[in-house]
Amino acid sequence: MSVFNHDYRPYEGRLTPLGSRPLVLARYALNEAWSSKITIGLFVLALLPCLVDLVIIYVADNPMARALIMRGGPAFDIDQSFFLHVLETQCWFALVLAAWIAPRLVSFDLGDNALPILLSHPISRFGYLLGKFLALILSLSYVTWIPCLILFVYQCYASPQPWAMAHLSLALGIFAGAAVWVVLLSMVGLAVSAWVKWRVIATGAIFAVVFVPAGVGGIASAILRTRWGLLLNLPVVMSELWQRMLGAPAVMNSRFELPTFPMVVVLVIACLLCVAVLNARIRAREVVRG
Amino acid sequence: MGVIELDRLEVRLGGRTVLNGLTGELRGHAIGLLGPNGAGKSTLINTLLGFHEPSGGVAKVLGLDARVDRMRIRQSVGYMPENDSFIGNMNGVRFVRYMAELAGLPPAEALERAHEALFYVGLGEVRYRKISTYSLGMKQLIKLAQGLAHGPKLLILDEPTNGLDPTARQRMIQLIKDIRKQGGTHLLISSHLLRDIDETCDEVLILNKGRIAAISNIEEERRSHRHFIEMEMTGSTDGFVQKMQSQGCECASFAGGRVKLVMPDALSAKDLYVTAAEFGVQIRRIQQRRDSLEDIFLRAMEYEGGRVDHVGV
Repeated sequence: MSVFNHDYRPYEGRLTPLGSRPLVLARYALNEAWSSKITIGLFVLALLPCLVDLVIIYVADNPMARALIMRGGPAFDIDQSFFLHVLETQCWFALVLAAWIAPRLVSFDLGDNALPILLSHPISRFGYLLGKFLALILSLSYVTWIPCLILFVYQCYASPQPWAMAHLSLALGIFAGAAVWVVLLSMVGLAVSAWVKWRVIATGAIFAVVFVPAGVGGIASAILRTRWGLLLNLPVVMSELWQRMLGAPAVMNSRFELPTFPMVVVLVIACLLCVAVLNARIRAREVVRG
Repeated sequence: MGVIELDRLEVRLGGRTVLNGLTGELRGHAIGLLGPNGAGKSTLINTLLGFHEPSGGVAKVLGLDARVDRMRIRQSVGYMPENDSFIGNMNGVRFVRYMAELAGLPPAEALERAHEALFYVGLGEVRYRKISTYSLGMKQLIKLAQGLAHGPKLLILDEPTNGLDPTARQRMIQLIKDIRKQGGTHLLISSHLLRDIDETCDEVLILNKGRIAAISNIEEERRSHRHFIEMEMTGSTDGFVQKMQSQGCECASFAGGRVKLVMPDALSAKDLYVTAAEFGVQIRRIQQRRDSLEDIFLRAMEYEGGRVDHVGV
């Protein structure tokens, strides 16, 4: 096919490995996600608390700055509780970003019925989802564990005491806590977007999936006078998990504390539900039964 | 090796058998897939692409099993789906490049091929416009462009002329003929429009109610010298008909002096006039025509046995 002759000619060049095709999807999905000015705006907004936290760490670790700014007031403690607060803030920004980005990755494909043409290429349904999943995970990482660990590294550098070695497990906790949330959000985001198809409604539905069960759980807890209703409250479940992963002191009344195992089970069930939805919706062809 | 080989292929969807024991081998360069609505054409294509799992039997594309070699089949195949299927907020060149990269072309080559494919199908001037703003004809063409960009060995076109106006249809048919003429790519064209298949294909697979009603090599039929002739005559045609039958013709006479006959290779139209003169009958009208795809199709549709048949004239 030359432009001048407008003739068809077969392609005889080299081909990329089959295993790298999900990366093509991830690259185009990232491009799609970050082509929106709103995505950039949300990203900048999500990094503002990190800037504040950076200043706090600087002030806490710099006696002169502390003397000038705090004027003899109490010093900030840069410890597990501080990083728990940082992680929680970033993770909730990640929810907002996921609710905006995830529908852009899947709903366009479903809305325009692009799946038959996409999946007619050498890529499986799993590969398709993996590509989208990678794009979403990477996007959410920009506002969760990456800035949190940058703050951690800065604290290691700025702390006058040998702080780093004593808090290495904190870094691991930050990464693992953020990773659990990012994976969960990505799965929920993709599943809801695949289910709803319409972008704006999908954005709202992602928030609904997180907060409506929390309300239902709260009502159930109040009526039945049990703490188990809190298992439906994803914000509470995640806060408790993060607190334990980071080794921070408990904030919640011990009466309402949940054991770790049921919380993990809830998260696993949520992920399995998402997989089931994705399996049902991400198909080249729908089969009408009956 | 056939382009498509089917061996007792059975596909069940939603609790009912959509394709039932298809067996046959298609070797043509451009294969037409004909059948009324609901015959199983799209299901067969979806099965060949690995979208539907066969519940029994084997389907092979270019020698590769559709059940186990899905990725290798998709690597060698370009697919133009029947319905709208694109990413509306992408521009034409970006969409085709995306599809070419998914097919395994490196980014730079994919971009080059995307431009070429779009120029080839006639969308060169609108390649930077968003696909959602394209007309129906343009959308059909961009589906063709993305199917071609990676240089497939087999191009599957599902109802390529659907919804096109006569000019756009002619353009699409011309493109298909052109691709066929280049010789490097096999074509599988599904359509319920006999004319499209007649114009573009050299072999046809006719499906009816999920079974193969006929496999026919149109090219061979076209090459056939067995002519159908319809005549209107005056005078008694009995002697004429008997004489022609004795010379190897298949004849049938009707009221009003109408005679239909199939001539063997050895006879020509001149023999008709000679025989007519011999029996003192006049030939008032003579129409010579070859068996058309429509005849093949209609005969296949009447066929109820479900047996694979190579329908001939």
